[in-house]
Amino acid sequence: MEEMEVIFRIKRFDGEREYWSNFVIPAKKGMTVLEGLFYVKENYDSSLAFRASCRMGICGSCAIKINGKPKLACETQILHLNSNKIKVEPLDNFKVIKDLITEFEGFFVKHSRVKPYLIRKEDNYAEPVELIQKPSQLSKYYDYSLCIKCGACYSVCPASSSRDDYLGPAAMASAYRFIADSRDEGYKERMEIVCGDCGVWRCHFAGECSEVCPKGVEPAKAIQKLRFKSALYMLRKLFMG
Amino acid sequence: MDAKRDAGVELHTKKVLESAGWIFQLISGLILALLVTFHFFETHLVSHSAMDYENVVARLTDIPHKVMYAVLLLSVSFHAFNGLRAILLDTNFGAENTRSVNIILFFAVFVAFAYGLLLLIEF
Amino acid sequence: MWLKWFDFRKKSLFHISYSLHRLTGVVLAVYLVMHLSYLTSLRLGRGVYEYFISTTLTPAFLGFDILLVLAGVYHGVNGIRLILHEFGIAYELRRPILYLCYVVVLVVWLYASYVLYSYVMGV
Repeated sequence: MEEMEVIFRIKRFDGEREYWSNFVIPAKKGMTVLEGLFYVKENYDSSLAFRASCRMGICGSCAIKINGKPKLACETQILHLNSNKIKVEPLDNFKVIKDLITEFEGFFVKHSRVKPYLIRKEDNYAEPVELIQKPSQLSKYYDYSLCIKCGACYSVCPASSSRDDYLGPAAMASAYRFIADSRDEGYKERMEIVCGDCGVWRCHFAGECSEVCPKGVEPAKAIQKLRFKSALYMLRKLFMG
Repeated sequence: MDAKRDAGVELHTKKVLESAGWIFQLISGLILALLVTFHFFETHLVSHSAMDYENVVARLTDIPHKVMYAVLLLSVSFHAFNGLRAILLDTNFGAENTRSVNIILFFAVFVAFAYGLLLLIEF
Repeated sequence: MWLKWFDFRKKSLFHISYSLHRLTGVVLAVYLVMHLSYLTSLRLGRGVYEYFISTTLTPAFLGFDILLVLAGVYHGVNGIRLILHEFGIAYELRRPILYLCYVVVLVVWLYASYVLYSYVMGV
């Protein structure tokens, strides 16, 4: 099919009330949901608010719920949805600011809590040295480094929906990314953070995070590995001090 | 959000509790998968009179059965109430009342085990 | 908010399995308390125990028993799947393992229901 008229049913929020707006979009082959949103903004309602930046699936800004599932709007082609009614909503588990724009501050705070940077015991910026890493060492964490912080995983996580201080799949996948990195020396610091009440123990492998991740990061896998490491770490600490 | 939690300060005991709780949840789960299957088999598949009073008492007075029932009782009590503990701790209510939830549910484990043990001891 | 665990609209079979695991866990925890109370009848004497048995091991309760067995079988089989993956084993095979899990649950449940049916109906 080359062209089709579709109805975008968009959930709106003006700061006080929630309501739905319907717009007819002339969808062409290759047209993405993001292009559809821009079409609405340019031709129907300029007050429609949504986030977008790179338009190529690398910044993570345009993650929204499309027909009930979180996806990147820039990577979702309208005609591939096989429906002439497209329901567009903001991500779950985030506070809505306006229309499709949600509050990401808490998400980024949680991400920063796991110290998502290489920790070295000695940092000599005056005389930097190359940190050698073999391809086999890189492959241990590479997939988890692909996270674009879009928030899709966090929006489907049942633990995140019921407990506000849960770190979330993205933060914990990031923690594992650094723990598994042979160049990193912050193992103990990060383990103390993820072993906490709001860390790995709140995950029960619903696995939805891995299903919706647009970059194939597999946060569920990272968390299971992290949990196993956490258990060993705590038991070692208990018996060996 | 609780400042203590934000600062990453937590009691050492609580963290170890979570690791141990998770490991024992898995171990008790495996034990239950075997023992509950055996228990169902024994009470429903062996003979139609397995649930008669005399046969039930005979099993309860038999030492190997007593040991099996004690292990089953301990595993199921721990597994059930630790599971409920995890469910409660997954909520904001649980986050704010972690200590109370832990104490109440571990007390429930003890009560369930003790109550069942009374029966085993009596026979 | 906590009811979101059971909101599996537009969610994958993994999330549905998680929700069902939680639901069956709660059902079985309630059953544990009921079962322990039921066993009290043994301490109260033959008459009380036989009254309970004659009331509950009847066709009227068969439907409830079969659903309980489904809850138990599902929780056990899915639990073994979770133990496997939570130890990081066979994560890449999680989809075929999940489907296999449902097949095993169905087969075991049908057999257990047949056993229960034969037992209660005296077949």
